[in-house]
Amino acid sequence: MFSAKKLMLLLLAGTISLAGCKKYLDVNDNPNNPDSATPALLLPTVEASVGQLIGNSFQVNGGIWAQFWTQSPTASQYRTLDQYNPTNTTYDRPWLTIYRSALINAELIINNPVNSPYAKGMAYVLKAYTFQVATDAFGDIPLGEALKGNEYTSPKYATQELVYDSVFTYIDKGIALLNTATAPAIGAQDMIFQGNTTKWKAFANTLKLKAYLRLSQVNASKAQAGIAAIYAANPAFLTEDASIKYTTTGGNQNPLYNEMVALNRTQNLVASGTTVKAFKANNDPRAFKFYNFVSGGSTDTIAYINQGTYASNSTKRVSTPSVLVGGVAVDDASAVAPVKLMSTSESAFLQAEAVARGWASGSVTALFTSGVTSSFTSVGLTAAQATAYLAAAPAAQLTTTPADQIKTIITQKYFSMCGFQGFEAWTEWRRTGYTDFLVRSAASVLGANTRVALRMLYPNSEITTNANYPGTQLIYTPVWWDK
Amino acid sequence: MKKLILSLFVLMFCVFAANAQNRTVTGTVLGQDDGQPLPGVSIRLKGSQAGAQSDVAGKYSIQISGNKPVLVFTFIGYASKEVPVGSSNTINLSLASDAAELGEIVVTANSIKREKRTLGYSAPTLNDKELTQGQNSSVTNSLAGKIAGVNITTTSNAPGSSSRIVLRGGSSIAGNNQALIVVDGVPIDNSSVIGGASSLASVDFGNRGNDINPEDVASVTVLKGPAAAALYGARASNGALIITTKTGAKSAKTSITFSSNNAFSSILKLPEFQNEYGQGYHTDIDENGVVSYENDPKENWSWGAPFTGQVQPWGQQIDGVRQEKPYSAVKDNVRDFFKTGFATTNNLSLSGGGDKSTFFLGINSLNSNSINPGNKDVYNKYGVRFNGTTEFSNNFYAGVSVNYSKVNSNLPAGGQDDGSVYDNLLQTPRDIDITGLKDLNNKYNGYGITKADGVLSNQYGYYGAYTLNPYYIIDNYNNYDDVSRITGNFNIGYKPTSWLDIKERVGIDSYSERRRLQKPKYSFLPADEAGNYSADNVQTSNGSYEIDQLNVNEFVHDLMVTATHKFNEDFQGSLMIGNNIRQRYVSTVNTATNASGGLVVPGWYNLANSNGPVNVITDNISRRRLVGLYADLNLSYKNMLFLEATARNDWSSTLPTANNSFFYPSVSMSFLFSELLKESSVSNWLSYGKIRTSYAQVGNDTDPYQLLSTYSRGEILGSFGSTTFPFGNVAALMAGSTIGNANLKPEKTNSFEVGTELGFFKSRLNVDFSYYANSSKNQILAIPTPNSTGYGFSVVNAGEIQNKGVELSLRGTVLKATDFSMELYGTYTKNNSKVVSLLPGISQVSVGGYSGMSIVAAVGRTYGEFYGVTNRTDEQGRTIVSATTGLPLQTATAQYLGSYNPKYQASLGTNINYKNWTLNVLFDTKHGGVFFSRTKDIMAFNGTSAETGGQRFGTVFPNSVTIVNGVSVPNTSVTYSKEDYYPSYADGNNIVDASFVKLRNAGLSYTFSKEQLNSSRIGGLTIGLFGNNLFLWTPKENAYADPEVNSAGAGNAQGFDFSANPSVRNYGLNLKVSF
Repeated sequence: MFSAKKLMLLLLAGTISLAGCKKYLDVNDNPNNPDSATPALLLPTVEASVGQLIGNSFQVNGGIWAQFWTQSPTASQYRTLDQYNPTNTTYDRPWLTIYRSALINAELIINNPVNSPYAKGMAYVLKAYTFQVATDAFGDIPLGEALKGNEYTSPKYATQELVYDSVFTYIDKGIALLNTATAPAIGAQDMIFQGNTTKWKAFANTLKLKAYLRLSQVNASKAQAGIAAIYAANPAFLTEDASIKYTTTGGNQNPLYNEMVALNRTQNLVASGTTVKAFKANNDPRAFKFYNFVSGGSTDTIAYINQGTYASNSTKRVSTPSVLVGGVAVDDASAVAPVKLMSTSESAFLQAEAVARGWASGSVTALFTSGVTSSFTSVGLTAAQATAYLAAAPAAQLTTTPADQIKTIITQKYFSMCGFQGFEAWTEWRRTGYTDFLVRSAASVLGANTRVALRMLYPNSEITTNANYPGTQLIYTPVWWDK
Repeated sequence: MKKLILSLFVLMFCVFAANAQNRTVTGTVLGQDDGQPLPGVSIRLKGSQAGAQSDVAGKYSIQISGNKPVLVFTFIGYASKEVPVGSSNTINLSLASDAAELGEIVVTANSIKREKRTLGYSAPTLNDKELTQGQNSSVTNSLAGKIAGVNITTTSNAPGSSSRIVLRGGSSIAGNNQALIVVDGVPIDNSSVIGGASSLASVDFGNRGNDINPEDVASVTVLKGPAAAALYGARASNGALIITTKTGAKSAKTSITFSSNNAFSSILKLPEFQNEYGQGYHTDIDENGVVSYENDPKENWSWGAPFTGQVQPWGQQIDGVRQEKPYSAVKDNVRDFFKTGFATTNNLSLSGGGDKSTFFLGINSLNSNSINPGNKDVYNKYGVRFNGTTEFSNNFYAGVSVNYSKVNSNLPAGGQDDGSVYDNLLQTPRDIDITGLKDLNNKYNGYGITKADGVLSNQYGYYGAYTLNPYYIIDNYNNYDDVSRITGNFNIGYKPTSWLDIKERVGIDSYSERRRLQKPKYSFLPADEAGNYSADNVQTSNGSYEIDQLNVNEFVHDLMVTATHKFNEDFQGSLMIGNNIRQRYVSTVNTATNASGGLVVPGWYNLANSNGPVNVITDNISRRRLVGLYADLNLSYKNMLFLEATARNDWSSTLPTANNSFFYPSVSMSFLFSELLKESSVSNWLSYGKIRTSYAQVGNDTDPYQLLSTYSRGEILGSFGSTTFPFGNVAALMAGSTIGNANLKPEKTNSFEVGTELGFFKSRLNVDFSYYANSSKNQILAIPTPNSTGYGFSVVNAGEIQNKGVELSLRGTVLKATDFSMELYGTYTKNNSKVVSLLPGISQVSVGGYSGMSIVAAVGRTYGEFYGVTNRTDEQGRTIVSATTGLPLQTATAQYLGSYNPKYQASLGTNINYKNWTLNVLFDTKHGGVFFSRTKDIMAFNGTSAETGGQRFGTVFPNSVTIVNGVSVPNTSVTYSKEDYYPSYADGNNIVDASFVKLRNAGLSYTFSKEQLNSSRIGGLTIGLFGNNLFLWTPKENAYADPEVNSAGAGNAQGFDFSANPSVRNYGLNLKVSF
């Protein structure tokens, strides 16, 4: 029979067993995801993020606004870009790639407890690179309060000038770390230079040169002083493309091509008349490398439509960008097109400009020639073809006036960037006004004046989540260095 | 508090232990109506403290003494009986149920049976007959319109489709808001995991609550508030559905019941189409206003020329020939695509029992082939249930309940995926007869066609360059689902004395679900020779094959010790203390062929056929545990005043160790004031009157693994594609998307309820009314953070959501005669939800939708508001248009456009009996919510909806103004082009009034009388006609879809018709025969 004693004992036993329940409840360790990561494992993410940004969203946006490309009449994905009428939502993805893929992981490398100075040096350089393209695109951006989610849930925006100052600091910190005498090698985990710190330092120097030159219109003396300091250290500049090479493996393909495949291979990008006509005027053989032919009649030609005229060409067959630049939706060969963060010819053109401005010593002609030649050879043409072009092309004639020299240098840099570096080409046009043959897109909605797109819009995600959002900027408002 | 409960318990024990008597009387108490044993009957020796209680078999044993002893038998819901004890030591008797006392028995939390009058909260119950009135294959859908305070969204209403049940508005901003489903005391999983990539391309595989077979159910009690459900703890903060399945009867002959229904289904509501314009678009308007058109044969647009009725060529030119057809509207081209669906449901059950045991065995099948043509819209479900109870001689008793169910289905995708049949259907120009495209071997319809040369080509002959032939989708896209599930419980109890009951119950719910999603690989060029198609009009897809494997395993244990005691004639009480342990283990593995590469060999659906590395989408294990201790104290005074108090403390594995223990109490009261009026004249008309009130708090934990920030495999998403690691041999990790929170505290829900139940005129008319106010605080949410923080979400304890509302139920027998009775019933529910706060600085959180239209929880607003850009209007609500184009201007920022939650719901039903005939009809309505309709959007884009018809050029936008010098001026002159407006209007224009009235159920049945069946061996026979979801009335503004359809399943994103598959009505014949 049951007794009170037994019951009490039972309850007591039950209560005691609760002590064991602490162990029973200790099952909240996440078995699915690690809670730490080494710098070597985070580095490829940062690099591939920059590749996705430069090679896809900024490539499309820049390629259209630099007027290498325009919207195909038979599709509609990028009409709003040709209209200078993107929504804030358009920039949600690139902004996410910048902060949540590239920068946060760079930050996690830099602050990592694991000793890895080379990876940290590379992370600093990539952080500088990413902050620069971000501020070039959007102007003022979160900087000091960014990437500290536990501390700042609504990061304040820093001025573009401050961002540039930080870019120089990050590069210096990166170079210092890359100069570490002995440190664990990075090897293949570095998808850009396979761990070669010499090449990274050259990349860092060239990046710094590019960043100072960007200030030429807004603060020439600072630019000049900065460049003088670079040269004083007897620097090596980039002599090899800083690029990521892709493969045909699904998920490892050129990001632009990969995007088109995901869109069921819809061909949205086609040749813009602006650039094709300019190539033609200079009888430039590179045009046939950057664009596909359209077969028809007796000769193979590049068929184009003028910028933003998709509506009035609804039945026209138009040339697409080439597989070399990863631009053909239906051709798997596009998968292996590289993404160039910075090219050899760009390096030469930047040096040429510094010399032309009198801010560095050297031969403008030699650097300029080197820039054009490496552009030719990089697309499979010969040095001899480059020489012929340099001799004949009206747009390649280097005069002696610095201002004219700069125009020619930037114009040639523009041609060399066709299909590969659309964002940088558009950005340099914003800084220098070259090339001077860009037109107003026929699809523009910015009214009947000369307004064009001079910046990207802040993303919708910041409008809806950041309490310190500084307010929307109009698309035709120039950024700080664009004077 | 824990100590207090313990000492109370001990105290009560001592009181009981004080008895000692000299003679023992034993016996069995049965119910007079059904001859079933009555457990829990109170047996008292008149004029003494001595008491006993009958056990589960109705048996009792009591010590008696004194002169001419009299035993008093009382039991809730039954008339009391006083029996003088003679010389016999055995007294068997039966008690008559007392209808006048409304002694309804309700199964409450933890399967505890209580008399309804004693409850301090609303707990409406439906019996099996009411539940299966509409013959709906879903238990939750069967509740629609029958109970106040319950918001059921039936979505497509096809067998197996999602069904959402929310009680009193739901309490959670980001978490689950559906009621907990409990079967025979064991909570069961009701996951709703939508199939496909997202709600924009979803396959509705339904929610797992659908696995319950309605014919197995004996009753459903709805515990609407936290007070009612406090014993279930955290998971019942949204209320609970307490489902009790059928059992056999003791000492009864084995009865065999067979029931069957055969249901036809057809579309409930299709959009309204324009029938004036066909395929193509306009190219020019000259200065005289003459419009020229391009009759582009590859188009999905119906922005072409007005119909002429003239025969003209269309589609592709193949082998030198283009087909011809009249240029006129094919009005029912979409409707004709669908067929009549058919579903057959069969149930066979055996039940009965011996002296000490009962059993119920049910087997059932449901085979449905719904409205899409062919056999690619099928849902098959099979189930077996066994319930048994037995008693052992030494006061032990035990029960077992096991259900096995198996589902296999193949269901069509909705949304805007290339595999969405409905999306491609809606994009068919108005002049094209879709049924004519059925024969895929016809070179004008197919892909990979054989032309005159007899050689299989790599070309397509189907007219559309931007859409796929819906018949091709039906034949080539598959979404298979296989579920195998076992649920059940085992319980054993011991009654050492009449006043003490110790019960242990162990329940398990375990299932495996495997989905296989197949998309074909193809690449076809247009066959056209006429020059209307370009080589860019290639139809191509790399194909894909995805396997989603979900395993859920849940284990629940409850140990409950209950003591009852009668202190004196008027005052009695019981105390239950219990321990609950539960563990939930979920593993999800979603793998697919390479996201970019797709398949290598077309038609071979196997991960071995992946073109590139297999894409591991998800590989997750989640385990959570919870330990709870609870107590439930019930006191009653004079069978008139009742008090219940509960307390529970939980320890959860998902919260930080320092905060993982949380305590919450509830108290409720019921006062039967009509007892006081029994002698007065009021009782002539007020036969029953009760008021009740309750207050409760419920704590809640969170999902596992919310405490730490983690890393995941490197995958950098573009807008569409992605860079995925490993990259060659390079591996990578990246920061996860969410910042963890190591200091989380439990959530708290507080609820208050007051209500009344009234019976008039001997309960001919019954009224039940409640007012409630719930508030949930400290919600654990992953709030969106600016991406510039480096993360997308941050887990926080913040936010408060409030729900206040009223519920009213009425039920009355309006006519009653010998052969005829007519009962009317109705419900009214009004719930106001409000998001009171989120985190400082955060004004809203998205709960679903897409970039163009979010569904949000926004501070100060109703939960589930739509948020998107819409047409700009002036203060008078007139649309502001451009002074040059006449087109509406869009708002600069997103606007709040209304909530999917209805302002009120109501229902009205009747049951009419005439001799052997029974007729039931139930209407229900929801009023005041809105829904987002991409069905409207895609039809506006294509120019097929009725609103795109009429004059397309040269009219002014209705009720529009232009802004001149900052002032609105009515627009009478600036005309607009519909073709410029509809294809690209703001998403806000797709918000449509979701109000509706539905004829939810109707049925007519004939039950043969005993006399009619006398000569046969049949014990009972009923045949009937039934229908559910039969008719729908919507406001004129809704010319698009049944507002109940939803592309996001049963989750928090509701009112989201992202070209969701249309809903169906079901109607047919049913038969029930028993032996």
